[in-house]
Amino acid sequence: MNFAFTEDQLLFRDTVRDFLAAECAPAQVREAAAGDGRSPARFDKLVEMGLTGLTVPEAQGGLGLGLVDYVLIAEEAGRAALPELLVDQIGIAVPLLSRFADRPEVASVLEAVATGAAKVAIGHPMDPFVADAAGADWLILGKGDAVHLVPAASVALTAETSVDPLRRIAGVEWLAGNDTVLSDAPGLWDEILDLGAIAMAAQGLGLAQAMVDLAAEYARTRQQFGKPIGSFQAVKHHLATVQVAIEFARAPVYKAAFTQRPRDVSHARIAVIDAAAMAARTAIQVFGAMGYTYEVDLHFFMKRAWALAGVWGDRHYHLDRMARMVLSDDAAIGADATFADN
Amino acid sequence: MKLSFSAEDEAFRAEIAAWMRDNLTGEFAKLKNRGGPGDEHAFFEERRAFERHMGKAGWTGVGWPKAVGGRGAPLSHQVIFFEEYARAGGPGRVGHIGEGLAGPTIIAFGTEDQKRRFLPGILSGDDLWCQGYSEPNAGSDLANVRTKARLVGDRWVIDGQKVWTSLAHVSDWCFVIARTEEGTSGHKGLSYLLVPMNQKGITVRPIQQMTGTSEFNEVFFDGAETAAENIVGQPGEGWKVAMGTLAFERGASTLGQQMAFRNQLDEIIAIAKANGRARDPMIRQRLADAWIGLQIMRANALRMLSKAEGPELPREAYVSKLYWATWHRDLGKLAMDVLGPEAEIAPGSPGTYDLTPLQQLFLFTRSDTIYAGTNEIQRNIIAERALGMPREARA
Repeated sequence: MNFAFTEDQLLFRDTVRDFLAAECAPAQVREAAAGDGRSPARFDKLVEMGLTGLTVPEAQGGLGLGLVDYVLIAEEAGRAALPELLVDQIGIAVPLLSRFADRPEVASVLEAVATGAAKVAIGHPMDPFVADAAGADWLILGKGDAVHLVPAASVALTAETSVDPLRRIAGVEWLAGNDTVLSDAPGLWDEILDLGAIAMAAQGLGLAQAMVDLAAEYARTRQQFGKPIGSFQAVKHHLATVQVAIEFARAPVYKAAFTQRPRDVSHARIAVIDAAAMAARTAIQVFGAMGYTYEVDLHFFMKRAWALAGVWGDRHYHLDRMARMVLSDDAAIGADATFADN
Repeated sequence: MKLSFSAEDEAFRAEIAAWMRDNLTGEFAKLKNRGGPGDEHAFFEERRAFERHMGKAGWTGVGWPKAVGGRGAPLSHQVIFFEEYARAGGPGRVGHIGEGLAGPTIIAFGTEDQKRRFLPGILSGDDLWCQGYSEPNAGSDLANVRTKARLVGDRWVIDGQKVWTSLAHVSDWCFVIARTEEGTSGHKGLSYLLVPMNQKGITVRPIQQMTGTSEFNEVFFDGAETAAENIVGQPGEGWKVAMGTLAFERGASTLGQQMAFRNQLDEIIAIAKANGRARDPMIRQRLADAWIGLQIMRANALRMLSKAEGPELPREAYVSKLYWATWHRDLGKLAMDVLGPEAEIAPGSPGTYDLTPLQQLFLFTRSDTIYAGTNEIQRNIIAERALGMPREARA
C-alpha cells in the first residue's frame, strides 16, 4: 500500500508547473482574455512537451500514461488557469478513445491528437454545451446511450458566452448516423461522466490553490493598522481554513484517479467544488475591494472555478448519486464494508 | 408594540403604490427592476430623469424633516415607501448617496446656510453625490487618511487620492474626509469637506469590476478647491461627522434593501420551482434558510429603527451589516446552484461580457462582505463596542 506519487510523476509535474509559470502566468492569461482567448504558440509547446500525447497509448505515439499521472498535470493546468484545450482532451476524450484503439479510424485520431495535428472536444449529453467545440477537428457527442465520434464538418455550432472570459463553449447541433457510432454500450456515458468529473476536480484543486496562494501573498504585503493584514487572526485564519479544505480534497482526487470508482469520483468532485468555492470567496475577502475588480488577476481563477463547478455533474448531481450509493437497499455499509478495498 | 399598519398607513400605501403605477410608465417603463447592484450602469440618464421626476412629486427625502423640505414621514411610512417602491420595481436610485448619506449628515451636523444650499439640490435630483472616504492605504484602517486639505485664504486646497468612490464619474459633489492639521494621525486632525466634482483639480478614473462594468472609481485631488465654508462640523471634527454618516448607512434605507432582497429570493424560488431544483432536498433547505434569514433581518431592522432615537446606536444596530452581507453573499451562490449548468451561460454574444441579472447578483454579492466595513471589521466592532473587548494590538 502506497498512497504516494513516484519521483518520475512528481518530476514531470514540476516540469509542467515550471513551464506554465513561464508561459501561462496570470499576465499572459489576462492577455489571452483580451484577445481571442487561445495561444496557438503555447499549444504547440504543450505538444512539444508531450502533453497532448500523455494518455495516448504508446502504439499510437503517446506516452501511454494513466489517470494517476494525468491528475497531477490537470491540477497544474488549473493552477495556471490554462485557457487551451488540454485537460478535457487528454483526461476525458483520449482515455475513452483508447478503449477503441484497435479500430483503425480511432487509432488514427489518437495518433493525430498525440502529434497535435488534431483536437478532440467532448461534451456530456447532460450539459447544454461543449467546451472548445469550435477549435476541435472531432467531437465526441451522445444520443441516448450511444457515444459518437463526429467530424467537425458534420456539426453546426452555436457559440455561447461563458461567465469565464477564457472558456469557449458552444451548443452543438448534429444528426446521429450509424457511421459515427463509437459504442452503444449502456452505461458508457456514466463512465465518461466519471472521467469528466475527475478532470474538473483536478483542475479545481489547482484553481483553489492558486487563489489561496495569491491571497496569502497579498496578506503578507498589504498593510493596514501599521501591520501586514496577514498578521491579524481574522485574516490568517480564513486562509488556514481554506487550506484545510484543499488538503482534504486532494486525497480524494488522487484516490478517484486511481480507483475511478463512482463513489470516489463523486466524493472528490464534491470536496473540490466546496474547497474551490471557499477559496474563491475567501481570497476575494482577503483582497478586499481589490479582489472585486477586473484589474486584479484573482477573478480569472474564480470564474473558471465557477464555470467548472456546473459541468460534468454539479455538486447536487454528485451528492445525490453518492447518497443513492450509500443509502440504497443493497449498499454495503458497516465496519467491514466502508473501508473494504479502500 | 404594534406590528400592524393603521388605516392612515394604508392610505399612504395606496398613495405611493398608485404614484408608482402611474409614473413608472412611458419613457420610464424600461427602468423597472434595473440599475440595482451589479447593474448600476443601466439607463443612467433615464434613471437620473426619474430621480428628478420623483423629486418634483415630493418622493425624495421621505424620511427627512419637513423643515428642510422632506416629507417628515414617520417610520411606518418610510417602511411602506420602501416596500412599495421595491414592489413596483422602482429602479436603482441614482441619488441614494445624497439622500441617504450626505443629506442626513448635513441635516445633523451642518449649518443653516449649508442646509439651504445643499439640501434642495439633493431633493430635486439635480445634484448627485459621492463619498470620499477610502484611500489606497485607508481601507479597513479608515482613520489612516492621507489626503490633505489646507486653508488658503477663503478656499480649502485639497491634495490626495480617494478610491472605491461609487458614482464619482457622474457626481456633482463629493463629501471628503481630509487631514487638515499637519502632523496628526489617526482620528485626530481630520475634517469633513463638501467638494464640487466639476473642476480641473479633480481627475476621476473608473475601476473595472469583475462584472466587467464600472460603478466605482479612483478620484485624484491635485490642488482641488472648495470654499472655506464648505466644512461640516468644526475643523478637526471630521471623524465624528464621518462616523455619523456611517450610522446612516445602517438606517432606514436597509428596509428598502430588504425589499430588493425579497424580490431576488422570490425570483430564485420561482426558477427552482420551474427547473425542478426545488425538489432537491438540499436546495429546499437552503431556500427555506434564506427565507428565514430575510424575516430575521426585517424584524431586527424594524426593532432597531423603532428605538433609534438617542445618539448612541443600540447594540442590535452593530450586527445588521454583518448579517445582511453574509446572507446576501450566500443568496448569490444559491442562485447559481439553483441554475446548475445554465449558470455558466452569459446572454451576450461571444467577445462581449454581458451577464444575466442573477449572474450580476452572484458577482456583486462577492463584494457585500467587503464594502462599508468588511465582515472582519464588523466583528471587531461588535466585539469591541458591543461586548467591551480590548482592541487588537496595533503596530
